[in-house]
Amino acid sequence: MEIIIYGIINSIILSLMSLGFALVYSISRLPNFAHGALYITAGYIVWLLVNKAGLPYLPSILLGLGATGLIGALMYRFIIIRIRGMEISEIIGTYAIGLAIIEGLRWGGLRGMTYTLPVFVQGSMSIGGVTVDYHRLIIVGAGVLTFALLFLFTRYNRIGLALRGIAQDERAAMMLGIDSDMTAIISLAIGSGLAGLAAVLLLPLGNIVVEQGYNVLIFAVAVCIIGGLGSWTGTIVAAFIIGFAQILTETFISSHFVMVVALLAIIVTLLIKPSGIFGKQKELEERV
Amino acid sequence: MKRATICFIVLFSAFVVFPSLSISAEKPIVIGAPLSTAFLYGWDAERGIKLAVDEINTAGGVRVGNTKRPFKVEVIDTRDLEPGVPVSDALLALEKLILDKKADFIIGGPIRSEAALAAMDLLSKYKKLSILTTGALTPLYHKKVEGNYNKYKYCFRNSSHSGVMMVEFMTLLEDLRKAHKFDKAYIMVQDVEHARKGGEFMKKALTEKGWTVIDMKVYPTGTADYSVGLHDSGKKGAQILFLWMDMPESAILLKQWSDMKSKALPVGFVNAAEQPGFWKATGGKGEYLIVNLVNGGNAPAKITPWTMKFVDAYNKKWGLEPEGYGTSSSYMAVYQLKDAIEKAKSVDTDAVITALENVDIMGVYGRMRFDKKSHQIISSMDPKEGAVTGIIQWQKGKRVQVFPASVAEGKILLPPWMK
Repeated sequence: MEIIIYGIINSIILSLMSLGFALVYSISRLPNFAHGALYITAGYIVWLLVNKAGLPYLPSILLGLGATGLIGALMYRFIIIRIRGMEISEIIGTYAIGLAIIEGLRWGGLRGMTYTLPVFVQGSMSIGGVTVDYHRLIIVGAGVLTFALLFLFTRYNRIGLALRGIAQDERAAMMLGIDSDMTAIISLAIGSGLAGLAAVLLLPLGNIVVEQGYNVLIFAVAVCIIGGLGSWTGTIVAAFIIGFAQILTETFISSHFVMVVALLAIIVTLLIKPSGIFGKQKELEERV
Repeated sequence: MKRATICFIVLFSAFVVFPSLSISAEKPIVIGAPLSTAFLYGWDAERGIKLAVDEINTAGGVRVGNTKRPFKVEVIDTRDLEPGVPVSDALLALEKLILDKKADFIIGGPIRSEAALAAMDLLSKYKKLSILTTGALTPLYHKKVEGNYNKYKYCFRNSSHSGVMMVEFMTLLEDLRKAHKFDKAYIMVQDVEHARKGGEFMKKALTEKGWTVIDMKVYPTGTADYSVGLHDSGKKGAQILFLWMDMPESAILLKQWSDMKSKALPVGFVNAAEQPGFWKATGGKGEYLIVNLVNGGNAPAKITPWTMKFVDAYNKKWGLEPEGYGTSSSYMAVYQLKDAIEKAKSVDTDAVITALENVDIMGVYGRMRFDKKSHQIISSMDPKEGAVTGIIQWQKGKRVQVFPASVAEGKILLPPWMK
């Protein structure tokens, strides 16, 4: 029973970590390697608002998400736009921004292990004899709600439809009057906001340390490669594969190999189906 | 006449207001501190060193023969605790301290064991006396000195090491067995060399003493979920959860432990749980955790008359209690060095080495003297005999010294769900 319960929780956590990265790539074909840095930034902003500005928790979260989204949008408007279309430069550029943010936070005082966000609800309950804390159950609920809202947004909202249009065929969408740069700005803002959402949901489980920015990026990239770059469905499926694989590995093999699972899955994916489980990119070349 | 009177008043005032001016003309003795300053073991060591230097300079400095010279601290960030930073970077930083900053003596790190071990050759090459105070817990350090004294005589360590810590842990667990009839342990360690070795040693030692070690789980750095291990330990009836981790994610483990109301008492070396802010960071979920702070005085305690004097002075200067491993030892290293220089009446390295081998002072965490062959601080369970550890338990937001018995300020408490 605990394998099922904690497998689901672990999978939702991984998909929340990856969703922002997947969204930006699927819409703008932009690998945002500053994703992990934005995750930590969001957590730190909320921490500052709660602990230094003395704001209540909920407004701090909303402001933190807004600020992270804004950072993402500004990042595109003033930096990435200049290297748009140059794939290697995009990777190097976003990674450099991420490094600058993370090291800037460290330099600015985010050191040690005592920075943390409070859990939303204290306490735990037993499900089928397995003790689970309320906060993890909230994460599961919030994760499912986020997926549902994103699904509805991209199907029933004009901006969401424009984002999908660009994702499907950028040139055709531009011919219909959709502004490619504006959609990229919006996608970066939403993707960064999703990184922030993951941060406020997941950081209360532990603490805010800059090194986690790198871990989140590694997991996001792993999940997206396995699921197929650009595929949201693939992202969620891959998160569940890795999430359950990690729990099964710890239960039946050894906790020692838990972190290797994701990396091993990348290697297997690249060997068998380089475009990922649901990946469309380069699928044709693979068949040829 | 009037001008002479004014000059006299100005000079007199200067000496009254700034007494240290009287020694400022002398060339300072430069202490080089190679530390990974973005991490607890680095910044708390830096604060400890600076506090001691301030106290010594305010009191007039170090008497070297007939003169009094002030200490000056040069800190360099070795970054050796940051992931992916090679040992060579820490060595370059140390070399810069020696060649560029003209450090007379080294106190502090490098912090990571492999960097500290590699630095020994550099210290030997430049004939620089070093007192290692933080980070490196490997017994290899003092064994290397003992194995080749002439080459490594420049290296001292005034902090404890994992060999001593293991004996302390075993004594503490045996005490718990007597008090509560505990005999089942579950080991969870991080996948790094010192933690794996610590876990393996404990597994062997506990088994030899008749304990049942249910399992030993090794978690890679960055692991963010410990539910499987905690459930497993609960199902199999573990009463002790032995931990050895220095990754930030260990806070997740402790929060999960509390949420699950695990019936195994957590004991170990947990870096995330050392700082005073740990309590707030876990929302009190770290209560009952027993942590080894390696040396006494890294949390408030009454080990010697100097312990609380140090804690109060640290609190006054930095606005918080000593934070964790590396604080009291770095502070004491400056005083040990001062004592040795004054005994040697010189800053000549060989003379100070001989003097430091004979320094015997009652410090913050007990009697402080080095083993003359290995240059390792002599540890003891009795502060009158040697340097004492700082094993604390988190109780109602405070770090209460619970071991060794000779200096314990409180008894070990069990969580209500374990009773």
